[in-house]
Amino acid sequence: MPENLAPKRFTIPIGPQHPALKEPGHFQFTVDGEVVTSAYVRLGYAHRGIEKAAEERTWIQNLYLIERICGICSHIHAMAYCLAVESLANVEAPPRAQAIRVLVAELERIHSHFLWIGVSAHEAGFETLFMYSWRDRETVMDLLEGLTGNRVNYSANLLGGVKFDLDQAQMDSIRKGVDFLEERTHHYLDVIMHDSTFLQRTRGIGVMTTAQAEVMGAVGPTARASNVKRDLRVEAPYSAYKTFPVQMALDTRGDLEARFEVRLNELFESFRLIRQILDNLPEGPLVARIPRRIPAGEAVVRLEAPRGEVYYFVKGNGSDKPERLKVRTPTICNLTSVIRLAVGHQLADVPMILAGIDPCFSCNDRMVQVRDAATDSQKMLTWEQLRQHGIDFYRSKAK
Amino acid sequence: MNSQEILTLAEAIVGAWDWATEVSHPRPNQIDVKVTHLNELVPIVVGLRVKRLGYLCAIVGLDLGPEVNEMEVLYHFCPGDVVIGLRVRIPRQGGAVPSLSEVIPSAEVFERELHEMFGIEITGLRNTERLYLPERWPEGVYPLRKDFDPASLAAHEGGV
Repeated sequence: MPENLAPKRFTIPIGPQHPALKEPGHFQFTVDGEVVTSAYVRLGYAHRGIEKAAEERTWIQNLYLIERICGICSHIHAMAYCLAVESLANVEAPPRAQAIRVLVAELERIHSHFLWIGVSAHEAGFETLFMYSWRDRETVMDLLEGLTGNRVNYSANLLGGVKFDLDQAQMDSIRKGVDFLEERTHHYLDVIMHDSTFLQRTRGIGVMTTAQAEVMGAVGPTARASNVKRDLRVEAPYSAYKTFPVQMALDTRGDLEARFEVRLNELFESFRLIRQILDNLPEGPLVARIPRRIPAGEAVVRLEAPRGEVYYFVKGNGSDKPERLKVRTPTICNLTSVIRLAVGHQLADVPMILAGIDPCFSCNDRMVQVRDAATDSQKMLTWEQLRQHGIDFYRSKAK
Repeated sequence: MNSQEILTLAEAIVGAWDWATEVSHPRPNQIDVKVTHLNELVPIVVGLRVKRLGYLCAIVGLDLGPEVNEMEVLYHFCPGDVVIGLRVRIPRQGGAVPSLSEVIPSAEVFERELHEMFGIEITGLRNTERLYLPERWPEGVYPLRKDFDPASLAAHEGGV
């Protein structure tokens, strides 16, 4: 740890593992009483060397490797990789395949946002909201399973297209599922906008101004909640978003409440888009032919994952393997911004601020270390205890 | 600003350093700028940042291999749907690039990754701690270099 971040009063390390992400984090917060005075992040606890591994595998083998970068937004990674390779090979997937890719991407966004509502509700101590939102998430998981055969790692993509088609029964079940989820989303929006105990944990907390979000390079809903117009589906439409445009959900407030509202509001756009695609699914083949050896060159692909922009750089050297593959996921951008936001906040707000960027923080129980530098005494807390501290803090404040 | 305006503006900014840059257009919405004078990298980035083109999307290291004995560092700035790539070349041994973190705070994590994965020195980077590699990873071993041999780690005491 650098000297300028050395503990002054208490240092509270949070982390390291949350294996659902490419970027699990270890956070260390120095606190003065209840107020966070400095924050520090250490990543890499689940670094698997995928970028290196990709150089050793063929273009086709990599598709299966890439899909396993993230367990939640697996499809968007595979899609970004496919688009990069197709761009190098100068091949375009047929319109029907592009529409199906976007359809799965939007279902994935719904699944990811519902997961996040539950996680955030849990961090705030709203167990009922957590249970309900995860129950509803099962609906979209079932739809994805019905469509692709898999609840996670859908494996929908092929280089040059997609693996499966949709039949009438699947379309009907998607329409039905989406109707149900839309109704539930209205309910959740009502809860997060009007429940006073929930607002106590979100309103005015973790405020990031537009200028801050821009300078810190925040992406996705985290940026849009601070009125940064950054949504690649709108800014730089790719694949079927060119024919099926979407509206950007924005908010000017920049606090946690805004991040909740932006995520829920963009769900309505996803529901609308899914219906539109089902009604206007282009006819035609599912796959375009792609050579085994991909021509030399460089390709940059940027897609809007549920958490924000995912960036792929692929360099080919004319062989059957990539020369270099670079992945930049949205969480790394949002982590660096959130880590600065935490300074000046109550320790009790830390769980919600971290959950606010959707880093999928609650996959594991985490150890939290509280250290008194003056006496060098150590106190071990778990993530669960820190979370409870946040809940108790606001409960006693409400009395 | 639309894409064309962004591209025109970016070229005008980079054009002020015409003696230190070579501009090419690999794709319609992309410009690739070879920065031949490393000292001019930060001023060019300041120029982009001042004109609000400074959203740094990623920093990519490229090892061109022991034969070429050089490495490339790519800085991708992505305002809107435009990709502005700044490309510098440095020697494979003892190569260094200036840190952008004073101009663009989010560059810090990308630079820490570049340093530990490729062994490229980042001049002026305040926090040079490891970001992704384990604490026990051997010094001087850079996994994204082309001549890195994973088997060499087996000999490392206690594993990594």
